[in-house]
Amino acid sequence: MEALMVELKQAIIEALNLEEVTPEEIDNDAPLFGEGLGLDSIDALELIVLMEKKYGIKLKDAAEGRKIFQSIRVMADYIAQHRTK
Amino acid sequence: MLTLQSWIHIAPTGACLEGHSVPVTDSNEGLLKRLYHQYVGDYPKFFKMDPLCRLGFIASELLLQNTPDRFSPREDRAVILFSHSGSFASDSHYQQTIADPNDYFPSPSVFVYTLANIVTGEIAIRNHYFGETSCYLLNRKDPAEMIAIVEEAFLDPQTRSALCGWVEYVDETHYETTLFLVGPEDHTGKPIWNQDTINDLINF
Repeated sequence: MEALMVELKQAIIEALNLEEVTPEEIDNDAPLFGEGLGLDSIDALELIVLMEKKYGIKLKDAAEGRKIFQSIRVMADYIAQHRTK
Repeated sequence: MLTLQSWIHIAPTGACLEGHSVPVTDSNEGLLKRLYHQYVGDYPKFFKMDPLCRLGFIASELLLQNTPDRFSPREDRAVILFSHSGSFASDSHYQQTIADPNDYFPSPSVFVYTLANIVTGEIAIRNHYFGETSCYLLNRKDPAEMIAIVEEAFLDPQTRSALCGWVEYVDETHYETTLFLVGPEDHTGKPIWNQDTINDLINF
């Protein structure tokens, strides 16, 4: 799980162009939206694309995304259980 | 009568504020990133912007950096920009990202910049402007048409000043912006906002 969380942080940094953020600076349990990384609605859509492109997970419901994108740890848990690639 | 309060020009060769070259440190990064790191540095959204937005954003940052109460919300300043290519560079980039049917994952954050007027919104959001924002695509850099459109914006009594000008991005080595801050005559000897005044600046 630790390795997946590190991989996920790097993927998010690249996908969301967080140029001045390093994986070490992202707290596994910090909220991704609002506080924390301060992501916005376009970032949420980009994370949905990332989930499908990198892990083969299709999220069809925005409310589902809201739960999954709570933090890196929650995302990694979900990916570990549902990934198809 | 409107006056030209201040102006800035940025091209790949450098930035020039009020006719004075803006010092920028050497590094391997492009000019816009170097200007960002040196003169802004606290707005990570910059890295998410497409090149056209980065260009307009950085120019507006340098133009407004010494403005008192800069981030106080206001409705009296319009943002009116002009371009020839608009978002064409980002349109092309987006097209490339979706060209492979076997790797078809349209990126929302790339797609969002396939509208030329986003740059006006980025400037308005940063500075808490709630007045008019508009972006016009012109066949050529035409100071007379630009002046006419900006003056028309001032027919709205809410508009008391305008951040306006030319923003053009083709690629990393072909881009240019000249932005102006225009406002009512304030009897401080500022040049009149007319074609004679800006012709030289817009073709800087």
